[in-house]
Amino acid sequence: MAPEAKKDLDTAERELCALMQRYLAGELEAFDGIYGALAGRVRGYLLSQCRDAARADDLLQETFLQLHRSRRTYEPGRPVTPWVFAIARHVYLMHRRSTGRRLRFEDALAADRSGDRARDDERTIVHADQIEHALRDVPADQRDALLLHHVEGWSFVEIAGRLGIRVNAAKTRAFRGVRKMREQLRKPPTTR
Amino acid sequence: MTNVPPSLRNAIKRDLRPTRPLKPPAVRALALLPLSVAIVIAVPALHFFRPDMGIIGVVRAWGFSAGQAIAGLVIVAAALRESIPGRSLSRSTLTWTLAGGLLIPFVLLLLTTSSFDIGPAPGDGWVEGAACFRISALAAVPALLVAAFLAARAYPLRPLVAGALYGLGCGLVADAGLRLYCDYSAPLHVLFAHGGAVVSVTLAGALMAVVASRRSP
Repeated sequence: MAPEAKKDLDTAERELCALMQRYLAGELEAFDGIYGALAGRVRGYLLSQCRDAARADDLLQETFLQLHRSRRTYEPGRPVTPWVFAIARHVYLMHRRSTGRRLRFEDALAADRSGDRARDDERTIVHADQIEHALRDVPADQRDALLLHHVEGWSFVEIAGRLGIRVNAAKTRAFRGVRKMREQLRKPPTTR
Repeated sequence: MTNVPPSLRNAIKRDLRPTRPLKPPAVRALALLPLSVAIVIAVPALHFFRPDMGIIGVVRAWGFSAGQAIAGLVIVAAALRESIPGRSLSRSTLTWTLAGGLLIPFVLLLLTTSSFDIGPAPGDGWVEGAACFRISALAAVPALLVAAFLAARAYPLRPLVAGALYGLGCGLVADAGLRLYCDYSAPLHVLFAHGGAVVSVTLAGALMAVVASRRSP
């Protein structure tokens, strides 16, 4: 690397270190600065990994949320960029793992569905009715998260922002909602 | 300059407060020093000191045990470093650390004794081996819990690796106490009872770290 470029990099890294110190002291504007300086590069990295712009945006938000949760692990004086990129890589790997699990689940679901193709329209109408009944039995907070994620297609970060809860709480609510709904659907119609 | 999405900014704002960064890994590992000293002394003190303490001398008894316990703490420090994003150990460092750590008790045995025929009486091998294994594994538990807590406060991106490292470190600390209590040098006893305890604590550390990482947000 040319000396000038290295000097610029050092200056940028020093600025990031200073921002990080202010962020640790509780300044929101410092977080804005860190996001502004690194979001583009982190998004580029995530995009190169997952090749899906919407997903990269989601993962970018998740990365910065994770950065916030683990901000105490930043060692003052050390470069910020490798620290942030390590978190981004971890977020991406965790996402890939959970996506793999979901895909396997969806494949199994699709296999089940293909076996049910012979069912007639009336049966389908009954199914829709059952789903509506089952949804009614899901607690309101879980139902909101479930519908926003699985029907409206919102990300958990967006749901967390909308409902004023943590991202993990949004995930938990949606998951519990699905589980509750599944339990309801398994019951014979008379017991509902 | 990219603007922060409002939903993310609000989530950060809700939770933002001054935060003290963690101390460097080596400094945090020092928190285990008093406990390690207590473990090394307690293992023989609660049972008995090896009968040949006078023959092997202070350096080969206390000196080597202290060295092994310090090596254990260094490995715990490496685990705490591994628990910090961006400071993961390289594959070669990791391999050397794990291999070196596992070899330490056997190298010290070679340096401590010249005959390898002192072992349990015929028929007592399993009982005596189980006793050494139990003493060493149990002695490592307090250090393992503290190390797991210290690592979980950081953000281990490879919990299995971090856990195996602090497990190995704590296993070595406990074994440093065990070698002041047990004077057996029979290879089978040392390999399975002493080495087995260190390996078990290493595996327990890896398991604990994985479980802890799945429970954390």
